[in-house]
Amino acid sequence: MGSIQMSHLMLLLAVLSAGFAVTHADNASDSFWLLRVKSEIIDPARVLENWTPRAHICSWNGLTCSDDQSHILGLNLSGSGLSGSLSQEIGHLSSLETLDMSSNFLTGSIPSELGKLQNLRILLLYTNSLCGKIPAEIGLLKNLQVLRIGDNMLTGEITSSIGNLRELRVLGLSYCQFNGSIPIEIGNLKHLTSLDLQNNSLSGLIPEEIHGCEGLENFAASNNQLQGNIPSSVGLLKSLQVLNLANNSLSGSIPIALSRLSNLKYLNLLGNKLSGEIPSELNQLIQLEKLDLSENNISGAISLLNTRLRNLEALVLSDNALTGSIPSNFCLRNSTLQQLLLAGNMLSGEFPLELLNCSSLQQLDLSNNKFEGELPFLLDKLENLKDLLLNNNSFIGALPPEIGNMSNLENLFLFDNMITGGIPVEIGKLQRLSVIYLYDNQMSGHIPRGLTNCTSLTEIDFFGNHFTGSIPATIGKLKNLVLLQLRQNYLSGPIPPSLGYCKRLQILALADNRLSGSLPPTFRFLSGLSKITLYNNSFQGPLPNSLFLLKNLKIINFSNNRFNGTIFPLSGSNALTALDLTNNSFSGPIPARLAMSRNLERVRLAQNHLTGTIPFIFGQLIELKFLDLSFNNLSGGLPSQLSSCEKLEHLLLNNNQFKGTMPPWLGSFQELGELDISSNYFFGTVPVELGNCSRLLKLCLHSNTLSGEIPPEIGNLTSLNVLTLQRNNLSGSIPSTIQKCKKLYELRFSENFLTGSIPSDLEGLTELQVILDLSKNLFSGEIPSSLGNLVKLERLNLSYNKLQGEIPPTLGKLTSLHMLNLSNNHLQGHIPSIFSGFPLSSFLGNDKLCGPPLVTCSGSMGQGKKHLSNTEVAGIIVVIVSTSTVVCLIMLYIMFRIWCHWRDQVSISSADGVVGTEKKRGEGKWVYGDEKSRNGDYWKVNSMVLVSSQDKPAKSTTTCVFHLKTDSEDMEADTCSKVT
Amino acid sequence: MEIRNTHFISLLDCLFLCSFIFKFHHFYFLVLFHFEMAPLSLFSILVPFLLCITPTLSTNSEGNALHALRSRLIDPTNVLQSWDPSLVNPCTWFHVTCDDSNNHVIRLDLGNSNISGTLGPELGELKHLQYLELYRNEIGGKIPKELGNLKNLVSMDLYENRLEGEIPESLAKLKSLRFLRLNNNKLTGSIPRQLTGLSNLKVFDVSDNNLCGTIPVDGPFATFPMKSFENNRLNGPELKGLVPYDFGC
Repeated sequence: MGSIQMSHLMLLLAVLSAGFAVTHADNASDSFWLLRVKSEIIDPARVLENWTPRAHICSWNGLTCSDDQSHILGLNLSGSGLSGSLSQEIGHLSSLETLDMSSNFLTGSIPSELGKLQNLRILLLYTNSLCGKIPAEIGLLKNLQVLRIGDNMLTGEITSSIGNLRELRVLGLSYCQFNGSIPIEIGNLKHLTSLDLQNNSLSGLIPEEIHGCEGLENFAASNNQLQGNIPSSVGLLKSLQVLNLANNSLSGSIPIALSRLSNLKYLNLLGNKLSGEIPSELNQLIQLEKLDLSENNISGAISLLNTRLRNLEALVLSDNALTGSIPSNFCLRNSTLQQLLLAGNMLSGEFPLELLNCSSLQQLDLSNNKFEGELPFLLDKLENLKDLLLNNNSFIGALPPEIGNMSNLENLFLFDNMITGGIPVEIGKLQRLSVIYLYDNQMSGHIPRGLTNCTSLTEIDFFGNHFTGSIPATIGKLKNLVLLQLRQNYLSGPIPPSLGYCKRLQILALADNRLSGSLPPTFRFLSGLSKITLYNNSFQGPLPNSLFLLKNLKIINFSNNRFNGTIFPLSGSNALTALDLTNNSFSGPIPARLAMSRNLERVRLAQNHLTGTIPFIFGQLIELKFLDLSFNNLSGGLPSQLSSCEKLEHLLLNNNQFKGTMPPWLGSFQELGELDISSNYFFGTVPVELGNCSRLLKLCLHSNTLSGEIPPEIGNLTSLNVLTLQRNNLSGSIPSTIQKCKKLYELRFSENFLTGSIPSDLEGLTELQVILDLSKNLFSGEIPSSLGNLVKLERLNLSYNKLQGEIPPTLGKLTSLHMLNLSNNHLQGHIPSIFSGFPLSSFLGNDKLCGPPLVTCSGSMGQGKKHLSNTEVAGIIVVIVSTSTVVCLIMLYIMFRIWCHWRDQVSISSADGVVGTEKKRGEGKWVYGDEKSRNGDYWKVNSMVLVSSQDKPAKSTTTCVFHLKTDSEDMEADTCSKVT
Repeated sequence: MEIRNTHFISLLDCLFLCSFIFKFHHFYFLVLFHFEMAPLSLFSILVPFLLCITPTLSTNSEGNALHALRSRLIDPTNVLQSWDPSLVNPCTWFHVTCDDSNNHVIRLDLGNSNISGTLGPELGELKHLQYLELYRNEIGGKIPKELGNLKNLVSMDLYENRLEGEIPESLAKLKSLRFLRLNNNKLTGSIPRQLTGLSNLKVFDVSDNNLCGTIPVDGPFATFPMKSFENNRLNGPELKGLVPYDFGC
């Protein structure tokens, strides 16, 4: 401290000795302190350059002196680009009456020494970066009339000492971070005319004492967290012209006392929690020009009348709970009302014809209400209207042709109504029309060519109507068009080439129509195009090469069309995020250039004729979430670079000709929810790493040639819903860890070489529902009785295994079952009676099984007898009868021969042989050798019943054709014909 | 927000600015109320229409319905994270299954997913839904009567939740329904008699609720085991003509 004071002294001496004896002693000290102030200010624009001891202080920039230049009166450095901080030495400039440091970049806090400036009348520090609290010493400035320190980073509570500033006229504290409540001492400021507390974090109540500010004209406290009621005492502020309490948490009803504010011109209470009705007494506010009560919970009918509030220019009551209709005497013929915004209420009734008297209206927003009925023909009486927002109501009928007379109309929002009929051709007269939203109506007819005369149009949205015909060929006249949304109509014909001249177009959505033809080469001019959706149309032909020039494309969806040729022209943009070309006839390779779009998230190229391999460079697509290449002719292996696509959620490669082993890095996809590589030529083992994909919901590996055992790590996939491993060469047993996959609802292991017994652990899979298919494996042992716990299971297929023993009665608990196939095993014993309703085919081919639907069990049940149905029994009877006949005949013949022999020869030789019947059941054979039948059209089962005799073997073949539904592979015998 | 005002001093030179956002059906547009107090007449409403960033497709009713459901549910484990309403349809959302031919939602699998919250009427928009699997969660509130609009529903599994209120009569409209599992909830009231008309109903489980009245005996109810009705306040099988079916309710 000592050294600092010494340096002050040295400086003072230097100034004095510089020979400015003529200057007043005050000036000398002022210049000394001003230079101290300067020393803490950074002045990149050199505004303070002439602040030197050599120049007279009154000539320094920003300084105002008294007439006799004896002392300084003002310091104004507003907007001088200053930074640094405000020195506490400013407190020594005791003659200052005005201090304006506003609109600079000053940091630091407000020095408490300011409190010493007893002559200060005006203090302006607004728009800086000052922080800290307001010093309580500010309350010492008895002569202060204007205090504006807003738009800083000031914090803390507003000091109550502010109530001592009895001369204060203007108090500006907005855009800071003040908290706490408004000090009640504010009510002491009798002369205050303007109080601005906006955009702080003030909470608590508005002090009742506010009525002490008798002269208050402007009171703004919007964007704070003020609570409680609006005090009625506000109604005592007779001079009040502006009251802005928007965006607080004020509650209760609007005080009737406000109606006493006879000078009020502006009242804004939007964004509070006010409830109750609008007091009709507010109609007494005849000076009122703007009234905004929107975004509250105000209910009841609209009681405000423009006929009373004659100066009203804007009435905003949107987003409340207002009901009823608009009062019939609402508008005067010479109304000054320009904005009437009533959106988001529950107002009802027909379009209020009264409003047509509000001829000055520029904006009318009745959207999101319950208005109904037709739009009035006389709508054009609102000749000044710029914005007509009637969306989200229940308006019916057609758009009146008179709309063409509303020459000032810029924005026409009629979406989400039930408007019918066509677009009147008169719409072409609307030269200022910029936005027309007609979506979600029931409009029909052609899009009038005249619409293309509205050359100011920037946005057209006709989505979800019944428009027919073609897109007007003159659409290219709309040079300002940014959005063209015609999705979901019945438009036909080609895209007019002139559309390419709408060079500002950013979004083109023509999906879900009947459009045809190919894309015009003029599309090359749509350089701003960012989104193009053409899905579900009949577009065809190759893409114009010039599409490659569209560098801003982000979203492309051409799915479900008949485009052909290469997709290379769509790879020109580096901005692509989504590309969907599903179900077209594209051919050729996947362009590696797509990998230049580093933000690509979705690539869907399924159901085309693409060939070649997955470009290894796709590993650069680190944002990729969705890769669907299924149903193409792609080949090769999976490039290891793909493992970099760590955000992959869906990887669908099924039904291609991919070859190779399943790479272990598939297990590195932590986000993977769906992996389908089915119907390819993958071989080798299922990598154990797959168990790391803990989010997997669907894992489809079926119809490959995978071998080895099912890894026990499969049990780590605890979210798994669907697991399909059928039609591979898997061996070994089912790992018992499978029981941990508790969310499985579909599980298919069929057509493998799995052995061992069916694990009783499967009982843990209680959500199994669609199917449990273990058919056509080599499972042995008994059916575990625990399978009876799968109470939601609807299909169970254990056929074509080597299962033994009896059908456990617990299977009777499978009450949801409607398909059961236990056929072609070695089961025996009684079929539980609960299954008697299942068809014969469910049980066929089990040697020792009996009971309905098979033959009734006999006493020697299960001892090698074949149990057959009545028809088969009948057949067997026929066979037995016929063979008996044959046997009898043979016996007769033998007896005859014996008799002959006996007759011919005295000696008796032995008989030729004993002839009996023997039933044999042939092994069922699966016919799935060729690829076609593997892919799931049908398979056949030949089961043979051989009835042989030594002499005349008779062959009876039962052919059952099991139709396989390709999706569900629901095995139910449809036809069984017996061929003899 | 930086407000600069270079007027030196005037009683009316404070600058008022407030902004708010109107939310519209398919886009947002920002309405800036930017006006200066001094000449109060200056009151300009700027309506810069922000281009639809993601125009939600209003006829994507199934996606909208599911998204509405999402907004009602509390999902601490983010199982609904992939439900992006800006996609053309919900068919690539996880836990949603569509049929391959026409992209209609046929399954909703959110069983055992730690979700709470309530169900809403919008679920009735899923006209093609066959499997509604919401079992073992903490879903509360009532069973929306609009579920009766799911004409193709085969299985409704709402068991082991915190559902309350009555079993809606409208479920009798679900002519394809085979499996109705509502066990382990807090359902009250009687078993609607209209359900006896569900001729395809194979499994009906309302055990562990707080139902009252008697157990229907007609139609498929002739076959359901008593276990399906245990742990309620039910009064045994209906005795037609002797006591009203809602006896004891």
